Amino acid sequence: MRVRHGEVLLASGFIGIMATLFLALKWAPSVSIDAFASPAAQRIFYWHVPSAWAAFIAFSVLFAGSALWVFKRSPFGWRLHVAGSEASLACGLMAVWSGCVWGAAEWGTPWDWTDVRLNTFGLLTLLALFLVLGRQSQPDGIESRDTFSTFGLYGFVLVPITYIATRFWQIRHPGPVIGGGEDSSLSSEMGLVLLLGAISFTILIAGHMIMSARITEYEQRLERLQNKMDGRI
Amino acid sequence: MADTLLELKGVSIRRGIDIVLSDFNLSLAGGQCIILHGENGSGKSTVIEAAARLLPMEKGEVRHHLNMVHDSEGRRKNPKFPFGLTLQSNGLVPSQTIQQHLETVCALSQFECDLTPILESYGLSHRRHDKIAHLSGGQQRKVSVISGLIPAMLSEQPRLILLDEPDSGLDDYSIEILKTHINQLRSSGHGILIATHDERLFECATSLHDLNEETKHEPKACEPWKPIGKQANNSFLATKMGWKYNASTLISIQRNWLASLLVIGTLLALVEPLSIKDHDVLVMGFVLAPAFTIGLVGDSVTSILQEQRAIDWWRAQVQSIPNSNIESFLSGCILTIFSMQVFLQIFDWRIVLIGGIIGFVTTFSLRFLQLSTLRLARTNAVFIRLLTPILILPWAMVVEYCVSF
Repeated sequence: MRVRHGEVLLASGFIGIMATLFLALKWAPSVSIDAFASPAAQRIFYWHVPSAWAAFIAFSVLFAGSALWVFKRSPFGWRLHVAGSEASLACGLMAVWSGCVWGAAEWGTPWDWTDVRLNTFGLLTLLALFLVLGRQSQPDGIESRDTFSTFGLYGFVLVPITYIATRFWQIRHPGPVIGGGEDSSLSSEMGLVLLLGAISFTILIAGHMIMSARITEYEQRLERLQNKMDGRI
Repeated sequence: MADTLLELKGVSIRRGIDIVLSDFNLSLAGGQCIILHGENGSGKSTVIEAAARLLPMEKGEVRHHLNMVHDSEGRRKNPKFPFGLTLQSNGLVPSQTIQQHLETVCALSQFECDLTPILESYGLSHRRHDKIAHLSGGQQRKVSVISGLIPAMLSEQPRLILLDEPDSGLDDYSIEILKTHINQLRSSGHGILIATHDERLFECATSLHDLNEETKHEPKACEPWKPIGKQANNSFLATKMGWKYNASTLISIQRNWLASLLVIGTLLALVEPLSIKDHDVLVMGFVLAPAFTIGLVGDSVTSILQEQRAIDWWRAQVQSIPNSNIESFLSGCILTIFSMQVFLQIFDWRIVLIGGIIGFVTTFSLRFLQLSTLRLARTNAVFIRLLTPILILPWAMVVEYCVSF
């Protein structure tokens, strides 16, 4: 029997995420009541941070796919672009939605239009939404691929800005939890759950992207066959 | 030997997923009329649009009067000499009158002239002050064909004319007139490239091209056309035309101003201005919100140009298409004065200026986004406005800055 790697990874990632949720709610230590306005809501962190991490991986895949299409006209690049934009949208929405819920509990507001991190990440998610909806609204062709890949390419400029935003303009969103100096240290249990979450989300989007790329390839084959039947090839 | 007016060298173009033109070469000299014919989808319109610099190319380059005007690297240079263009989808602005449109075409050619004899020949002189939207499909087509012929009709120097299915929708009488004009213009040294199925026009051809092979043809001898234009200098045409489109349609008032005034009304329905006078950032946000709204609605001139592909006609002719730059700045200033009176009851020229700049920059950004999706088949269906929240953060920063005044 042929092993479908995409489905296997997707299922493994899903199981890992469920385990992360269970550990986050039942096993991970509670945070200090003095450090947070809403300590219970802090457990959203185990969902929010890994989904944002996976979103950054997906944005990178989107960038790589867009670059491959724009510079090499590679069909594989276009499949990566499609898979990357879908995964970016899914993970971006998960990170934004969980962040809004956490923000509402912790800050008293789900969003702050003056915070650079929130806005740039939100915009990246909107870019992914634009790419997914835009692609569905247009017939597939060189014009749409060029246009959307160009947006994917330039949109990636926002990724480093988003990453460094809390280091340079910390307005409301907290600084990095890993690699951000002494203030960013986590207890070992918290770090373990976070790591499991990050790995699980990575596996999940890897599975999703493999499946998405395969579906796009089938769509391309179908279109070629239809064109052949129309006598256009 | 006559000058070469158009050269397509090794042009390859994809449309959709297919390569429509592959390594295509064509050369058109003054005094020649090449007719492209062939089945639907064979690439006739693609050749015309490539020659007009409208399509990105995989390979090759396009030259007008021996100068490169477009190549596969994406370089686009303005043609040294104006050329005539009739697109398959007219490329007219429906809210303009025939007279206004044809005067614009004359101005682009740096000429002025009495249009009466040309309009009379096509039976349109009694309609010259009618809006294009009020004309029948056939009459609109005649206006589009005249627009394509005018640059050559006005000039003594050889000009390039590109006509995509000019016969479509024309009655027999108009086709006879068109044939006469094509023959006269060719005889006077202009170069004409036509894509058509209509065999009646084949009589005008010096060669017939089915996109694979070119065959020579002998057209009827004819009296040359006598140029009717007088030189006229026209600068800042794109800005002037943007202003004219706005003035004749009041589209900025209808779309941008209305949205801004609705924002002011909505804010007034929520709060009483005096009750928030201690909340500086909030009040300043209310004052600058209308200017921001003006820009978020988008460039109205760009929107009207998207009807009938007029935007493509303009893109072929000039680098900078008509825009609402001046209107957006002025509208931003005026509406900021109004909202300042409503919410602050003072006048500060610095805030008015910033309101104008917000209107201009936001409109400019929206136009950039609108134009970046022009190549798509369904530009109105794409969700480009999803990216406009990028403007909220800078606007919020400006609001905070203005509080310090």
